[in-house]
Amino acid sequence: MITFLAKRTATLVAAVLLSSFAVFLIPYVTPGDPVRKIIRSRVAGDIVDDATVRALGESLGLDDPLPVQYLRWLGDFFTGDMGLSHISRTPVVDQVMPAMGITLSLVIVALGAAVVVSLPLGIVAALKQGSRTDKLITTVTQSFIAMPEYWLAPLLVLLFALKLSLLPSAGWNTASSIVLPAVTLALRPISFFTSAVRSGMIDALEAEHISAARARGLSHVQTVMRHVVPNGLVPLSTLFAVWFAGLLGGSVIVEVIFAIPGMGRLLYDSVVNSDIPLAQGGVVVVVALAVTITTLADFLHRILSPKVSGALA
Amino acid sequence: MPSRSGMHSRRFTLRTRGRSTAALGLASLLVLSGCGLSGGQSASTEQVADTNERIVVDNFRAPVANWAPESDAAYILSLSGCLETLTKYDSAQGKVVPFLATEWKQTSPLEWDFTLREGVKFQDGTELTAEAVAGSLNHVLKAKVPARAFSPSVVSGVQAIDAKTVRVTTPVENPLVPFRLASVNTGVLAPAAYAGATVDPFGHCTGPFTPVSEKAKQSLTLDRNENYWGGEVQLAGGEVRFITNGATRAAQVQTGEADISLSIPASALSTLENAPEVSVLKADSPRTATLYMNNGRAPFNNVDFRKALRSALDLEALAASVYEGAALPAAGPYAPSEPWAASDASSPKQNVEEAKKLLAAAGYTPDKPLEIIAIVERAEFADVATVVQDNLKNIGVPVVIQAKEYASAEPDVLAGNYDMILSQRNRLIDIADPIGFLTADYTCKGTYNLSHFCDEEYDSIITEAARTSNSEERYKLYAKAGQLLNDQAVNLWLVNEQATDAIRSNVMFYVQDPLSRYVLTAQTAKSGS
Repeated sequence: MITFLAKRTATLVAAVLLSSFAVFLIPYVTPGDPVRKIIRSRVAGDIVDDATVRALGESLGLDDPLPVQYLRWLGDFFTGDMGLSHISRTPVVDQVMPAMGITLSLVIVALGAAVVVSLPLGIVAALKQGSRTDKLITTVTQSFIAMPEYWLAPLLVLLFALKLSLLPSAGWNTASSIVLPAVTLALRPISFFTSAVRSGMIDALEAEHISAARARGLSHVQTVMRHVVPNGLVPLSTLFAVWFAGLLGGSVIVEVIFAIPGMGRLLYDSVVNSDIPLAQGGVVVVVALAVTITTLADFLHRILSPKVSGALA
Repeated sequence: MPSRSGMHSRRFTLRTRGRSTAALGLASLLVLSGCGLSGGQSASTEQVADTNERIVVDNFRAPVANWAPESDAAYILSLSGCLETLTKYDSAQGKVVPFLATEWKQTSPLEWDFTLREGVKFQDGTELTAEAVAGSLNHVLKAKVPARAFSPSVVSGVQAIDAKTVRVTTPVENPLVPFRLASVNTGVLAPAAYAGATVDPFGHCTGPFTPVSEKAKQSLTLDRNENYWGGEVQLAGGEVRFITNGATRAAQVQTGEADISLSIPASALSTLENAPEVSVLKADSPRTATLYMNNGRAPFNNVDFRKALRSALDLEALAASVYEGAALPAAGPYAPSEPWAASDASSPKQNVEEAKKLLAAAGYTPDKPLEIIAIVERAEFADVATVVQDNLKNIGVPVVIQAKEYASAEPDVLAGNYDMILSQRNRLIDIADPIGFLTADYTCKGTYNLSHFCDEEYDSIITEAARTSNSEERYKLYAKAGQLLNDQAVNLWLVNEQATDAIRSNVMFYVQDPLSRYVLTAQTAKSGS
């Protein structure tokens, strides 16, 4: 276990460093001058004076060689300083942490709702395998996969904000503000989660130890609750972690449509505006959190799945 | 002959699309008769302003530079009724009018003196003095990324001459200093705003509304300034929301979550025009979607070829289809509503036969397809490029379309390594006068001459205009320059874009500003619900 922990910690650090370096390079490898992009994001005109470009680049240290710039940032980071945003000149941490808090809330609610919905659906579909109920659940949830957020979000706004006046169309002000964006984010995971629970349970139902449990005199309900449902949760834990990690930085469309100042929008804006320190700080936080979550999911997977823990032992 | 300002007033007339045909007819009659509505949205007789009401405005832009006045954040502070300037450009009158300064005069070729209004206090209770104004303007002047309208290249310095007089010095004689002092980037803040490492506008403006709280990247909340110098403020306060998605802004004004939504996208127009309790307001904006052509290389260095392309285009169809009526066919480099536009300018009509004759005269042979760069930042340009491609195919000019981010296209375009690019420019980007645009974009040494156009006659017209104080005379020179650009078919000006806002029916005395500088004013009101 200690070896496993050490390996995963090393992986976490390597992933954070690699991703931060990759993001650091983006403004330099994409066409266009990063300094001009920074200026344009402050004053949205097209004319950028060459002298201004030179002076700003120099004052931000962007004239230094790339390795020097990166190592300088890395040094600051290890002393707890994520630097200043190139555009607002405010501490990166002051922008990243509130945005991360908002996205975490959104993702937790969305995936929590997805779990609450998909667990019973997956269990019922597995227990009634091949029935009309199973086919209905499978068909409906699978159809969610084909609903991209940019299509679903306006549809939900049209229905629940415009037609029914039940929920706000955008913003991040009240508890009700979270409903539409969370539903938008939840639908596709529901599809995957339901499918995973169903498959896991069907595998468990067909396992030899289930027959043994029944032979020991356990009732059907007891067998299912003790031996089948926990096995159905094993693939769900991994999927949950993967979706959680993905949505931390990947909720940009939903955040733009619903005017939510979260992490996806912050990262998108920072890359478009060549705000290198902000992009680096944001990516480090997202990647660190994502890798931590997937690592925790691995642990959970080992605890829940005797097969995996046995193989790794 | 009507005066220029009169013509301007008529041309900048606000067009309101209500549901009443009769109202539309009346409005059209007023426009045609030259009476105009002066850009105002008058309240109906039944409505009574409720001074306890608060208002919500959905803005398309969020502040990114921590409220630095030299950045675009100044637009947000200005439209919110916080930030005020020494002078103000009145679109309806077509001239610069007093604001925090009551009068100004050119005291020497390089010096302008501005007399401050008496009795103005900042929202923190301190007095508006010449020292405070000079400090504020010098802060903008020393910014690392200076405002285009007020940078060291056009202004040498600002100093207080006495308690109420501010002197602005220029490096060369410049008749447009009062225009520059109308730029929102020259908004004046109290000295306390500059005490910290960053500029703090909270409680430090002079306007009718004072910002009281901010939700980062979400909204700015404002309360009425009880001691406003400009009279009683009709609203208790407001909230300006930063909503970058156009469809969301449209939805919010429809649901009533927002009272005013700025910059409505064309795709939402028809829905809003049929929505109850919502009015869509349109005004000409100083932006023209343009197909820039590289005049510096073949085949675009032949004027007949450029004219052939112009004759091939069906601008009416383009405006009606891609822009769904939210833009009008362009008649040249200026919108007809601008006071320097030729009064007889008309949109070129499609004439395929003439285009083919001009192509033959130019000796064009389709050796290889020409390339149009459609920048992805403007989603509609993909469709515009397709329409242009089809129009040009009809006359035997094959075209391929490249979708690119502007930043990735710019180096090649500035270097002259391109055929055509679809883009648009705000002609009044610096100040409410096109001199900056005409100089940067079309003079031989222009810093943003995408078309790589160079003409001595044009340059001499612009040089003369830049030193002409009399607005009438200067506008005549701009008109002459515009005519020259049109005669040479330097670019293909496609459609004049419209500024489109939507308001709820209980909003009173809203005056649409095509540049979104002034939205909340002391007069803006709401009737009780």
